[in-house]
Amino acid sequence: MDFSAAKEMAPYLAEPKAMPVGTPGKTGYLRLGFELDGEGRSIMRDLDRRAPLIVQQELYFDEGMPEMPCVYILSSGGPNVDGDRYEQHFTVRKGAYAHLSTGAATKLAEMRYNYSGLRQRFELEAGAYLEYLPEPTIPCRHTRFIADTTIRIDPTATLFYAEIYMSGRKYFGSGERFAYDVLSVTTQAERPDGERLFREKFVVRPAAHTPALLGEMEDYDVFANAIVLTPPEEAERIYARTDTFIDRTSCTAAGITRLPNGCGLLYKALGAETGPVKRLVRKFCSTVREEVKQRPLPEEFPWR
Amino acid sequence: MPDRSTTLMRLMALTDSAFPVGTFSFSNGLETAADTGLVHDAPTLEAYARCVARQAALTDGVAALHAMRSYRRKDFEGILEADRQAILCKLNTEARLMSCRMGKKLAELFAHIADDALAARWLGEIEAGRTPGSYPAAQGIVFAANGADERELFCSHQYGAIGTVLNAALRCVRVSHYDTQRILFRLSDTAEALFAEAAQMDFCEMNAFAPQADILASLHEKGTKRLFMN
Repeated sequence: MDFSAAKEMAPYLAEPKAMPVGTPGKTGYLRLGFELDGEGRSIMRDLDRRAPLIVQQELYFDEGMPEMPCVYILSSGGPNVDGDRYEQHFTVRKGAYAHLSTGAATKLAEMRYNYSGLRQRFELEAGAYLEYLPEPTIPCRHTRFIADTTIRIDPTATLFYAEIYMSGRKYFGSGERFAYDVLSVTTQAERPDGERLFREKFVVRPAAHTPALLGEMEDYDVFANAIVLTPPEEAERIYARTDTFIDRTSCTAAGITRLPNGCGLLYKALGAETGPVKRLVRKFCSTVREEVKQRPLPEEFPWR
Repeated sequence: MPDRSTTLMRLMALTDSAFPVGTFSFSNGLETAADTGLVHDAPTLEAYARCVARQAALTDGVAALHAMRSYRRKDFEGILEADRQAILCKLNTEARLMSCRMGKKLAELFAHIADDALAARWLGEIEAGRTPGSYPAAQGIVFAANGADERELFCSHQYGAIGTVLNAALRCVRVSHYDTQRILFRLSDTAEALFAEAAQMDFCEMNAFAPQADILASLHEKGTKRLFMN
């Protein structure tokens, strides 16, 4: 996995002393492929994994859409540590559908030598539908993390892709608000013929430029970014139903806009705590499912 | 190539807020920031303008520099690529609208006041709908055609982004001309560092992180109050 084009990671290329980059157990790999079987049921046809990433099998536990295969991605290694590299490749073939999440928040450990990297590729064929709704990502003091996500999507398919980032372990010790070294996140999408749709990149280096400023994070601690790539008619209905607001009482805010090239929507939410932001993102995901699959998301499990 | 004095005269004309590309119609999100009370005085206005300047530097500023370099190489495909890249990263609807309206207006104006084959071809591509016609791409072309260098282009771009906010502030925030000029004077200090960063960046490195400003842009987009177009 090559992240050498990302200059922001260049200061963090020392070899970790515990285990070098590339050591078995530090290079996770996951390939999941969903397709319709002979009876028209969406199933997980392909599963290839390498520790520490773990997926066992698809489950059909979504009461709002019981025919939907649901997969939790787990990591046997606990937090992502110094020098970890993960690669994930998700394919949803023609007409199939699936829901992906993680079993718990992704913790990014303190790093001294190197960084942790995640490369993801999503491929959605005609009429495919995928919800990617993981638990939040929590950086620690001196975390260095880069995520690079590429999406290839047919114009008739729908992808809901959400990420939630915390400012840090705000209640740990005296607090670790924006105490990480670097967070670099790139998401870009294209059509199967190569037509580029959009690219979003944000790089946060709190020591060089704090994000706790007006216009950026100000006093908020939780940031959610949800991308919806869907045909224009569905996008307009979702857009019309989605509230934009700044609520000082609950200390939350949310907004939505249309992405370039008519490819879909971008939803952003801010909050002081994780719970309210997770609920906002889940509500937005439910709106997407209602407009595309005519079914809402069920209530979240009480232990989540 | 124009002589140095001519270039400087034209640089000032192109950077002047009175240059008729429509900047007075836009607020770079300040209208909603003021309406929600987030920006309510000189210090909060300065913080907001600083945020706008930084985001502009690392996105549009990079695209403008690439467009200028392509113009100098007579690389028309390179100019089109800078234009496409500026729009790929312009994720708010009204910001894209602002960029394309001002870009087309600048291209049209330049066609009226100068005779430049590459700029004329550029305008033709916009009118034919074959390229979005973003403002930074247009700035790169026009400044290169007038003999300006990269730093001059970048500083003019920064001045424009900050000036749009400050001029709008005089109409929707309780600040004085003294306040806005002091802010402009102070923010000039950041231009050199931002230029040094932007000048080294490739398209794939263009980045922005302003979720609160993005939400303000969304509130304006879905709202009904409208003194400005963004």
